[in-house]
Amino acid sequence: MKAGSKSEKTYIEKMHTYGRIWMLLALFVISSVPVLFSAYLQQWPALADVAKGLAKVAPLFYATAVIEVIAYTPILGTGGMYLSFVTGNISNLKLPCALSAMEAAKVKSTSEEGEVISTISIAVSSIVTTLIIALCVIVFKPILPYITSEDSVFAPAFKQVLPALFGALGASYFSKHWKISILPVLLLCIMLIFAGTIPSGTLLPIGVVIALVWAYVLYKKKWI
Amino acid sequence: MPSDFKENGFFVAIGALVVLVVIGQSLFFLVKASKRAKELGIEKTTIKNTIVSSALFTIAPALAIVATIIALSNALGLVLPWIRLSVIGNISQETSAASAALEVVGGSLSGKVTDEYSFALITWVMTLGSSLPLIIIPIFLKKLQKGIKTAASKTDSKLVDALSAAAFIGLIAAFVSRAIIGQGTAGDNPLYGKSFGDGAGIMSVLTLISAVAVMLILEKIAAKFKLKWLETFAMPISMFAAMGVAILISVALPENIAYLEWRG
Repeated sequence: MKAGSKSEKTYIEKMHTYGRIWMLLALFVISSVPVLFSAYLQQWPALADVAKGLAKVAPLFYATAVIEVIAYTPILGTGGMYLSFVTGNISNLKLPCALSAMEAAKVKSTSEEGEVISTISIAVSSIVTTLIIALCVIVFKPILPYITSEDSVFAPAFKQVLPALFGALGASYFSKHWKISILPVLLLCIMLIFAGTIPSGTLLPIGVVIALVWAYVLYKKKWI
Repeated sequence: MPSDFKENGFFVAIGALVVLVVIGQSLFFLVKASKRAKELGIEKTTIKNTIVSSALFTIAPALAIVATIIALSNALGLVLPWIRLSVIGNISQETSAASAALEVVGGSLSGKVTDEYSFALITWVMTLGSSLPLIIIPIFLKKLQKGIKTAASKTDSKLVDALSAAAFIGLIAAFVSRAIIGQGTAGDNPLYGKSFGDGAGIMSVLTLISAVAVMLILEKIAAKFKLKWLETFAMPISMFAAMGVAILISVALPENIAYLEWRG
């Protein structure tokens, strides 16, 4: 037992070291993209123009980034965090993928088993996503529009990816924890009745806070 | 394609470099985590199932990302959207960053970007707008985890379990409630205009219900007949089945019913 907990510490510690190195490398490569593009085109945008563009999106993006980092830390684990924030598309892909993998393997996100299953799942998902995107862009470019265009037979399916994905995930979670689930879904629906256009990005943290408070109340009242 | 300044060999090479880094990191983490899983005594089949089901699970959302790249490519060419959607960010973030940058120079994503200055400006705004997590995670993640661990160790494990389940449920509830009653936001989407139709309605509710129903049925079957493989693949199967239902609805029902959205 002692040896196990010692090696657990070493694994997580190591993942922090590797994660930091990879993340900073990724930051360097990603940041060099605009530099190289500008150098190639010989077009260096005025600082004022970049600031004006950023001013419209950065406050929201930066606030979301901080909230996401805090909210996903206990779920995705160490490896999963370093990996998923580099590869992106977290709430619509990496997070549900990791949740589904942990659920199927019957491991808790708080355990080290959960940590490794989450990392494996996010790594596989990142590789597959990157390959699909690259393959589609390079190889299938000529036939792509027929599959993804507005009037393709498949168009409705692609527009309904999120309800399909979160319906399947929700069925599993909601049926196991229906007492915790009822109130958040109900309150969010009521909120949407009054302010229908709240985007998922804003709805997400609100949903999490409601669910956490409600779970705490249920626990205090000894209903769960 | 070669005559367009937005798509050239140099940019493609940069894209390839970005993809290599992403795949390199993923492979590295995959190997490390798989080794650790073996040390922890996790069964080989569990690891294998995790890999296969995660790959299957990823296909449909990845194709949805490809669809966004195609949509953005009209204005930005293929290479930049490809690079940007392979790293950080997500569909809606990248789209709004690009259109914010274009507004500065008086353009919009509904037309082709024809001058090099605007194009360079877009790459800067997209990149600077989304890179913050790559700075805060290396600095704060360890401290954040420590804080959470300390708090959790002082708390009853039953409450910790309830709270961690609640965090997932809150996330899922946000997307589920949007599919039930949310209003479309695409009306102001510079890319798709009014016809995109991402509001809740017949299609989203029926897709949601199908996903829930198929998932519950598959879970029941898997439990009754002790089918471990089905347990693993229930999630991706339900997702594909529900997407199939969406296609069926669009083909079988009259257009004004199939595409009916409660609130547009």
